Amino acid sequence: MNPQKRIAIYGKGGIGKSSTASNVAAACADEGYNVMIIGCDPKSDSSITLLGGKRIPTILDLLREGMEIEEEGDVVFEGYKAVKCVEVGGPEPGIGCAGRGIIVAIQKLKKISQSMKEMDLIIYDVPGDIVCGGFVAPIRKGLVNEAYVLTSGEYMPLYAANNICKGLSRINTKLSGVICNSRSVSREKEIVSKFANEIGSELVAFIPKEQIVQDCERDGYSVLEKAGGTDIAEVYRALARNIMSSDCAVDPRALTDERLRELTR
Amino acid sequence: MQQKNLSIMHPRPSSIVAALYTLRDLNVEVAILHGPPGCSFKHARLLEEDGIRVVTTALDENGFVFGGHDRLVDMLQKVEERFSPKRIGVVGTCVSMIIGEELHEAVMEANLDAPVIEVEVHAGYNDNTKGVLFALESALDVGIIDRQEFERQQHLLNEATNVEKKYGAASKEYLEPSRGDVKYTVAKRVIEMLKAGKKGICILNAKKETAYMFADITVALQEVAEKLGVEDNIVNFANLDTGLGLPRVRQHAEHILADMHDNVKIDEIIGGLDEYPIAGQQVRQLIEAKYKDFDFAVIAGVPHAIPMESLEGMELISITNGPRQVHPLKDMGHEHVLVEIDLHPKTLGVTNIVESEFGATVRQLAREE
Repeated sequence: MNPQKRIAIYGKGGIGKSSTASNVAAACADEGYNVMIIGCDPKSDSSITLLGGKRIPTILDLLREGMEIEEEGDVVFEGYKAVKCVEVGGPEPGIGCAGRGIIVAIQKLKKISQSMKEMDLIIYDVPGDIVCGGFVAPIRKGLVNEAYVLTSGEYMPLYAANNICKGLSRINTKLSGVICNSRSVSREKEIVSKFANEIGSELVAFIPKEQIVQDCERDGYSVLEKAGGTDIAEVYRALARNIMSSDCAVDPRALTDERLRELTR
Repeated sequence: MQQKNLSIMHPRPSSIVAALYTLRDLNVEVAILHGPPGCSFKHARLLEEDGIRVVTTALDENGFVFGGHDRLVDMLQKVEERFSPKRIGVVGTCVSMIIGEELHEAVMEANLDAPVIEVEVHAGYNDNTKGVLFALESALDVGIIDRQEFERQQHLLNEATNVEKKYGAASKEYLEPSRGDVKYTVAKRVIEMLKAGKKGICILNAKKETAYMFADITVALQEVAEKLGVEDNIVNFANLDTGLGLPRVRQHAEHILADMHDNVKIDEIIGGLDEYPIAGQQVRQLIEAKYKDFDFAVIAGVPHAIPMESLEGMELISITNGPRQVHPLKDMGHEHVLVEIDLHPKTLGVTNIVESEFGATVRQLAREE
C-alpha cells in the first residue's frame, strides 16, 4: 500500500483553491481512494460542493460554544463517495485571531480523529497566503508533508505564490507542484510554466476557465459529480492521478520581485 | 458533547507556572520562558529561590509581530554556554502560542547536548493542571519519566482537579478571600481540648514543598501535648511516603522526616507528598478502623481533600495557605479555619521545617499556661 498523502494547497485568496481541492477530492474518491478534506478557511467552502450545498458545523463553532467535541457526528461528515469532510471555521470578520483558530482546531482534530489514520489522501485547503504562524499550523504540527501552490498567470496571484514559496522554505516543506487555475489572461500557461520552472518545480495542471465549474458550484456540487463527462472533469482527474502518483518534491527557490515582474510583463 | 464547567471570576493559578513547577520537580536546571519578559515574573523569581534558573526570551512588540524563533535558538545556546545544565526546559507563554511559535524547531536548530523538555502551554486553561500534564507528557517523550509514573501522575492530577472543583477554589464562581479565624483563639481552643483530655488526630495532608511549614503544626502540637502530659492522646497522620513521586518530591519527604527526627512519631503514613488529592481515602479507612472515638482533628495542607464523612463527630481545625479556601472549608463544616499567609514563598528552597504562625501561637500559649 502507498503511504498516506497529506497535502496542503496554498494560493492567493479567491484564486480557486477550494473548488480545485474539492474536485480533486471527488476525483480521487471516484478512483476508490479514501479521502478526507479539511477546510481551514473561515468561509468553510471547501466541502460544500461535496455535500450537495449543505454547510457543516465547524470545529471552531463547537469550540466557541465550549463543547467537548468528538469526531464522528460532530465535526467529520461524509459527502460525495464517502469523502470525509471537516471544516475548521473561524472567528467573525474583524474579531479574534483566525491564525490561532487554525492552530487550536488542528490540535483538536489531531487529538480526536481516528479516521484520519485510515485515509489514502488528506487535503488541507488552507486560507490564502501564508501570512502568519497560524496559517502553517497543519504543516508545523506534522500533519502535512507536501504542498501545492495554486495561481493564475496574473501578477498578484503569482506574487502570492512566490511568497508562499518563501514561507515553505522557512518551514522546510517541499513543494510538489504548481497548479494553474486559468483566468484566461494572455500567455498564461507560458508564464506559469516559466514561474514553476524558475522556482525549481513544475506545472502539474492547467485548469481552463470554464463556466461549468461555476455552475456546478452554484448548485452545490463538484464538477465530477454533476458534469463528470466534461473535458474539465478530465482535467481534474488527471490532476488527481498526478497528485496520487507524485513522488518528486523540491525545495522551492522564490524569485526576486524584479524577476517576477519581468515574467508577467 | 458535554457542556463545560462553571466559569470562575477570580484569576486562577496559571498553567504556565504549573509547568514551571513541574519542570523543577523533574530536576530541570534551567527553564526558558519563551515570551514577554514580564510573564510569570513572581513565580519565576520564587523558583529561582528554589534552585532552578528561570530565564526569558523577552519577546517584545517586534517579537510578537515577527516571531521569536531566532531569539529562542540564541537563548538555548546561551543557556548551554553559560550554565552547562544537565537538563533544560522550554515553556511557552500566551504570546508565543498565539502567534504559533514552534518550540521543537528551535530546539532542533539549537542542537544541544542536554535533553530539552518542551512544554507548549499558555495560561488559557481553566485547570492549571494542564500545564503539569503537558510537562509530564514531554518528559515521557524524552525518556525522563516512565509510562507508569506518567500514568500515576495523570491520575493524581485528575483527582486534584476534582477536589478543587468540588470543594476548593474552583468550586464557586467567586470566592471572597479571607484570612480565616484568629490563630490565638483557635490555639486556645486546642489547648483547652488537650487539657480536658480529649483525643485528637493531627493530619498532615500537604502539597509537595508546602509541607515544610504545615509539618511544623504536627511538631508544635506534639511539643504542647508532651508539655501537658497528654502526648498519648494525639495520633499523627502524614503524607510523607519517601518512595513515591518525582525525584524532588521524594526528597522533600525525606528532609521533613529527618527534621522531625525523634521528636515526633508519625503513626500513619497516608501516601506521598503528591498524593494529597487521594490521601483522604486512606484517612477515612484508618479512622474507621482505629480512631473512630477521637474528639477533634487538626488538618494542615489540603484539608478539603479529606472526606467529611470520615471526620463525623470531630471538632475540626483546618490550616490552609489559600485565602480563598476559607469559605469552602467553613461551608463543608470545619469549625475553625486558619490561613498561613505567604506560606509558599517561605517554603521554597528550604530543606528544613519552617515555623508556622499557628505552631508558634500554640507554643507560646502553652508556655504561658
